[in-house]
Amino acid sequence: MVSKVLVANRGEIACRILRACSEAGLQTVAIYAQNDARSMFVELADQAVELTGDSIGETYLDQNQILSIARSTGADAIHPGFGFLSERADFARAVSQANIQWVGPSPEAIEQMGDKMTARITMRAAGVPVIPGEEIEQEDEDEALAAIESASHRVGYPMLLKASSGGGGKGMRAVHAPEDLIEAAKGARREAIAAFGDGRVYVERLLTGSKHVEIQILADRHGRTIHLGERECSVQRRHQKVFEEAPCATMTPELREAMGQAAVAAAEAVDYEGAGTVEFLLAPSGEFFFLEMNTRIQVEHPVTELVTGVDLVREQLRIAAGEPMSCGPLMIRGHAIEVRLYAEDASNNFLPAIGPLAVFRPPEGPGVRLDTGVREGDEVTPNYDPMLAKLIVWAPSRSEALQRMRRALDEFVVLGTTTNIRFLRELCDEEEVITGHTDTTTIDRLWPNGWAPSIARSTEDAALMAAAIGESAGLHRSQVQVSEDTQGPTSPFSTLNRRYP
Amino acid sequence: MHHQFKSPEGPIEVSVAREGDVWSLGHLEATLMGDGRLRIVQADSSVAFAHVAKVGDVWWVHFQGHTFKLERIEPGATDTDDGGGLTAPMPGKILQVLVTVGESVKAGTTLMVLEAMKMEHRIVAAADGVVTAVHFSAHDQVEQGVALLSLDES
Repeated sequence: MVSKVLVANRGEIACRILRACSEAGLQTVAIYAQNDARSMFVELADQAVELTGDSIGETYLDQNQILSIARSTGADAIHPGFGFLSERADFARAVSQANIQWVGPSPEAIEQMGDKMTARITMRAAGVPVIPGEEIEQEDEDEALAAIESASHRVGYPMLLKASSGGGGKGMRAVHAPEDLIEAAKGARREAIAAFGDGRVYVERLLTGSKHVEIQILADRHGRTIHLGERECSVQRRHQKVFEEAPCATMTPELREAMGQAAVAAAEAVDYEGAGTVEFLLAPSGEFFFLEMNTRIQVEHPVTELVTGVDLVREQLRIAAGEPMSCGPLMIRGHAIEVRLYAEDASNNFLPAIGPLAVFRPPEGPGVRLDTGVREGDEVTPNYDPMLAKLIVWAPSRSEALQRMRRALDEFVVLGTTTNIRFLRELCDEEEVITGHTDTTTIDRLWPNGWAPSIARSTEDAALMAAAIGESAGLHRSQVQVSEDTQGPTSPFSTLNRRYP
Repeated sequence: MHHQFKSPEGPIEVSVAREGDVWSLGHLEATLMGDGRLRIVQADSSVAFAHVAKVGDVWWVHFQGHTFKLERIEPGATDTDDGGGLTAPMPGKILQVLVTVGESVKAGTTLMVLEAMKMEHRIVAAADGVVTAVHFSAHDQVEQGVALLSLDES
């Protein structure tokens, strides 16, 4: 039984989970750092408790503090969302030991999948294809380098060195020639030690031109483990996904079934429970290889929800409560695309941006879903991830979904903070995206020297006129003044003009 | 009315004309909507709407799927930092009166907007206070040096 869920997260995903709990008739507890006191997710919870401390480590990552709030509020389940503590086996274990239901898999499953080398070994044993490569168990620097050198002859170039405890591109190096190997291996180990306190690095063949295709799975305590089809998330910048879709444009029913079965086997190999994602590289040859398993709900889960009709977060809650999952046989209907709206300057190497959301007006209309944790008047700060929102569209076909996405992005108005909206919009016009022949190098290949918007002269003139009229007509003076008392005295945004359109 | 905006290629001069409710710039015409948006008619008669917001000195404009950041170059910076003398800096016409008698204002609040030498000048409160008198209303012509408003500084 679960009756009261503490959401150990913030922002967009906290809102998503709190809403699902509310729909399921569950009581909710939000936890928030002081600088999130006025954030949207805090309002969506039945109860909200402020975390003491300033840094992320002292707040959203403070296991003891979160557990004690769970106890004092009488929460009987903790949903970790993604990021933060979601893939921390020690936290999952502490939660269970406190007799609180962890909404996710067992700590053992998290551990087995969290260490990349262990995961490769487990997957191979379960008959799931892994990328050709070798695990390097040696911890000593010299021994490890010798083992990597030796493995390089068997794996072949180009190859990828990856930290066993890695993630987010840290401790990762592509090596194209033998003479670069030792320097790259040393660099990868250095980075891995600094980031994860674990220098173990393993060797994989670098599969160029591959697609990133992942399978959503669900497993309950009643012996049922199913897959919900794939998502393609090849379009990435700096190892971060920006454009995700379901189904994959080049998928066949046979390949889907084969990948789905491999994902189910992967989940069953670690006695998986709840929602999870098995990531694969899909080579141009049609071969697929296990990349990693994410033992949590994923950012891009809405595209699967829209094409399968399954509410994944609701199923997570059901499974955590010990109930059987409610979904029937897999049915994929239409096409869904998600783009991630970041506060960043796409024309300047995707540099994160901050500022007020003086105007925040998302698109509406048929087939449009917005998952966000911000609203107009909020401030984008450097404190947290710069993702502002996920814009997801559904349409009967892929080409109609792209048309709908273009329309939705054109309608989306954000003023006061630089966003990647225009970049996403122009991405939708690229031939590779239109035909669905994207791979993990698409962005780098399309814009090797960086992206810049193409703006018609007449559009620019109209914008200049609009600004000049705004000034002449004193539009900013009729706008409501918001004083941002959370901002330091040196903030360039200490006074901002907000408008209610 | 003339405005200057910064650009990587140097300042851009923008002169918008107004006739009744219609603003124009070259072949572009615009009218102000009740919700603060601008309805813009382009040379080919197509209609699109612009959203605008000012943050600091920057005008943010959304038009036809593009977002622009246009930093305004304040004409005669001294006019806004003149220590709050509530007198007309030069002969001109009152464009707007933004406060009423009895209103409490904070330092930095724009109290009145004056047009002179074809440029806009903001009359700004130098300190917190209460408006005790407003001597002119919009469209009035004023001579240099006349007191425009009175402020009881708290």
